[in-house]
Amino acid sequence: MADIHSFESLGALDGQGLRFCVFFTGCPLRCAYCHNPDTWHKSGREMSPRELFDKIRRSKPYFKNGGGVTFSGGEPLLNAETINELRGMLESEGIGYCLDTSGSAPLTDEVKAAIDGADMVLLDLKFPTEELYKKYTGGSLETVMQTGKYCSEKGIRLILRTVIVPGINNSRDMIDGYIRTASPLCFEEYELLGFHTMGFFKYENLGMANPLKDTPPMDPKKLRELQEYLSSKISGEKQQ
Amino acid sequence: MNNQNAWRDFKEGIWCDSINVSNFIKMNYTPYDGDSSFLEGPTERTEKEMKRVKELLIAENQKGGVLDVDTSKVITILSHDPGYVVDKDTDIIVGLQTDEPLKRGVSPFAGIRNSIQACNAYGYEISEKIKDEFTYRTTHNTGVFRAYTDTMKKARHAGILTGLPDAYARGRIIGDYRRIALYGMDFLIEQKKKDKEEIGEKDWLDEETIHLLEDLSKQIEFMNQLKCLALSYGYDISGPATNAFEAVQWLYFGYLGAVKEQNGAANSIGRISEFMDIYIERDLREGKITESRAQELIDDLVIKLRLVRHLRTPEYNDVFAGDPVWVTLALAGVTGEGKHMVTKTCYRVLQTLYNLGSSAEPNITVLWSEKLPEPFKKFCAKVSIDTDSIQYENDDIMRRMYGDDYAIACCVSAMKMGKQMQFFGARCNLAKVLLMALNGGKDEIAGDQIAPEGPCFGDGVLDFDEVYKAYKKYLKWMAKLYVNTMNVIHYMHDKYAYERLMMALHDTDVERLMAFGVSGFSVVADSLSAIKYAKVTPIKDERGIICDFEIKGDFPKYGNDDDRVDLIGKDIVEYFYKELCKTPAYRGAKHTLSILTITSNVMYGRKTGSTPDGRKAGEPFAPGANPMHGRDCEGALSSLNSVAKLSYDCCRDGISNTFSITPEALGKNDENRVSNLVTMLDGYFEQDAHHLNVNVLNREKLIAAMNDPTLYPSLTIRVSGYAVNFNKLTRDKQEEVVARTFHQSM
Repeated sequence: MADIHSFESLGALDGQGLRFCVFFTGCPLRCAYCHNPDTWHKSGREMSPRELFDKIRRSKPYFKNGGGVTFSGGEPLLNAETINELRGMLESEGIGYCLDTSGSAPLTDEVKAAIDGADMVLLDLKFPTEELYKKYTGGSLETVMQTGKYCSEKGIRLILRTVIVPGINNSRDMIDGYIRTASPLCFEEYELLGFHTMGFFKYENLGMANPLKDTPPMDPKKLRELQEYLSSKISGEKQQ
Repeated sequence: MNNQNAWRDFKEGIWCDSINVSNFIKMNYTPYDGDSSFLEGPTERTEKEMKRVKELLIAENQKGGVLDVDTSKVITILSHDPGYVVDKDTDIIVGLQTDEPLKRGVSPFAGIRNSIQACNAYGYEISEKIKDEFTYRTTHNTGVFRAYTDTMKKARHAGILTGLPDAYARGRIIGDYRRIALYGMDFLIEQKKKDKEEIGEKDWLDEETIHLLEDLSKQIEFMNQLKCLALSYGYDISGPATNAFEAVQWLYFGYLGAVKEQNGAANSIGRISEFMDIYIERDLREGKITESRAQELIDDLVIKLRLVRHLRTPEYNDVFAGDPVWVTLALAGVTGEGKHMVTKTCYRVLQTLYNLGSSAEPNITVLWSEKLPEPFKKFCAKVSIDTDSIQYENDDIMRRMYGDDYAIACCVSAMKMGKQMQFFGARCNLAKVLLMALNGGKDEIAGDQIAPEGPCFGDGVLDFDEVYKAYKKYLKWMAKLYVNTMNVIHYMHDKYAYERLMMALHDTDVERLMAFGVSGFSVVADSLSAIKYAKVTPIKDERGIICDFEIKGDFPKYGNDDDRVDLIGKDIVEYFYKELCKTPAYRGAKHTLSILTITSNVMYGRKTGSTPDGRKAGEPFAPGANPMHGRDCEGALSSLNSVAKLSYDCCRDGISNTFSITPEALGKNDENRVSNLVTMLDGYFEQDAHHLNVNVLNREKLIAAMNDPTLYPSLTIRVSGYAVNFNKLTRDKQEEVVARTFHQSM
């Protein structure tokens, strides 16, 4: 049984085509800028792989053009067992899945198997150094890199993503750091996402302290500049 | 009849010997599989005319919505001198309802009081001449109220049956205007005369036959008047059209005559683009016109359609907001043989939204099928994203019932062109009937006994089985009253405000549909689900009438693809439809049903007390078959899946669903958005869903949604891996999103 936070039946951004997103609860990290703090703890809504499959299958008519299911969270790989059980059922219907992960779940055999079955992995590279990673997320970059390297070795399509937070990692120096950290990984794309404040109300609803309550949303124009900087540096490196 | 020139180069078929436009189209149309690259922009002339149109629209808006009213005389086919948008030489397609653009005529046939009130509301006084003319003339409205029983009046007054066409003209009838262009007026008149003689040969002329004979003579009279209308603009439409311009102009004359004669709630133009395309293709082949000229013709027709106006009261706007005419124009679809019917003129019609700017009219309706060519699907999606101006309806399910030459009237009402007509019947408030069942037949607001007295609920927690049983008993009573009320209305409409020209452009042995409707669908589904899965206790006021409910525990809500509630709603609709069918409908009409509220969901909500789903008294309903706003919490596709479960077999007058999404949520870039929208439409319709309004919202729409969340009930916004329903955000967050969207579009 897996504890489910929620579903989003129309995902168009996390993976190819139209996606049915399953948000699991539970996360080993405590990111300062988390926009889904309500997924940290169990919701009490438990579902078996079969029940999840029945739910997902209802969206099959929308899975043309590479669409499918996206496992997100929380940290989906904490539920690797459920994903592995689902895998066979999904395959029987020709439905592929994508993992939207922080890569911070220990790389056990179960986790490896869940990655093996994925069409694509969206890996969140939160911070470029062990020190910063520990400071802002409470987790370890080492585990993330192991996950990323595993995807690279196995030839799984990998997309890196980083949330850019004003005042924390919105500088070119930081971008250089990310590029260095990412260099051993074999990825298709590196996408920067802007920090937003639309998850703030969740902190209020949960009665939790919001460590970034005074941080403004990321300016889309500056985000675009950083993305261009990142993309051009990466393609420059690839050409060398 | 010598049609050699008019029909040159057309493939012959059974259409040559008797009226059969469908056969003509199938024998002669040219399917187009290519993309939109052939399309042309507006000509200088079109831009000049549009400049004038824009000035007129601004002036109309500044005058509070009505530019001018001719109160001196009643508007009919021949009441006014010719009028032009710019002038006789600049307008290509000619003809206006009155002698000036946007000047409205007074049409009191459905109800003189309504006309007087409408004039007064905009600062006009109806002339003594009109008042005198109608002193001794019975209108539709007068006739209906003579025959209405007290119970009918009470049900109407309480708002259980509302929006009925008993004080205004019924509309929703589509003349087959193509017939004029293909055959010419003289042939059509001759056919009607023949029909009349044949029918008169019957051994015994019963009441229905005599009724029909009188109808036919009215039709013939108005067909002759239409010829005179065309002559006043300098055209002789007694013979068939000989080129593309004439085909469009002849067809438009028919439509114009109809909207001069009638001011019904919806005046749709039908399925015309494939037809016009045949003439345009021939002219192009003969080198008589260029693509630019072809587009100009369609642009000019659309300009004229955008200028159609009727005089309405402000109360009417409560039911149908925004001064709509529903010049619904249906296009594309597939033939019974499985060949798609996309032509270049389908593209040209869509292109008017770029050439002339986006607009609600004509109400462009794409008859969607999985078999439509991919480039066309993509072009439609692009137009939706850019303009939010088109709607989609499932050709694959409608074709099974209506063949391949049907069109859409109003929003979602399908009917065979020239072979079926509809008796429009607004809708019954299902949520109010539920409250009436709980209150033993009393209206929960005024406290009057309306339905037969029954046991009142209210001592402790409601028992689902008991409530369900009582509800069905009252639905049964309602269904009978509803059909009989409709029978009265349409008997009187035929008698006092018959659509002579529109019906002249139908087969004489027309098939009639009687279109019933329901509102409050999602409120009822959720209310019954609450009673079944949570604990609902009624709270009574000092009159002993239930005024509110205490709800303990959670319950499944319609819009989350959850069978536990979705199937309750489905069952209620199917039950109500079966009950409706038990009472025969006027003139042998077939009963049909829609789940469609247009914009009246707010008004119905206002007239309905608190409901067991937690909705408070006076709060709006969700529109049409939409889930209640904010209750579909698993995203848009689950919401679509819930609606898709409703069966078109029992709702063959349409199941309306409005879908809204931000461009950012639909995909990362334009190409993604287009392909995602196509995938979504294919996925929705593959499940036999019927209709989808698509809004891809820009900033202005977000602001409107913020001020009135009912406008866009399922608006999803998604920002970097995180999705929210826009309506769930607090006001300040919504403002933030709005501001951000604005930045992005800069």
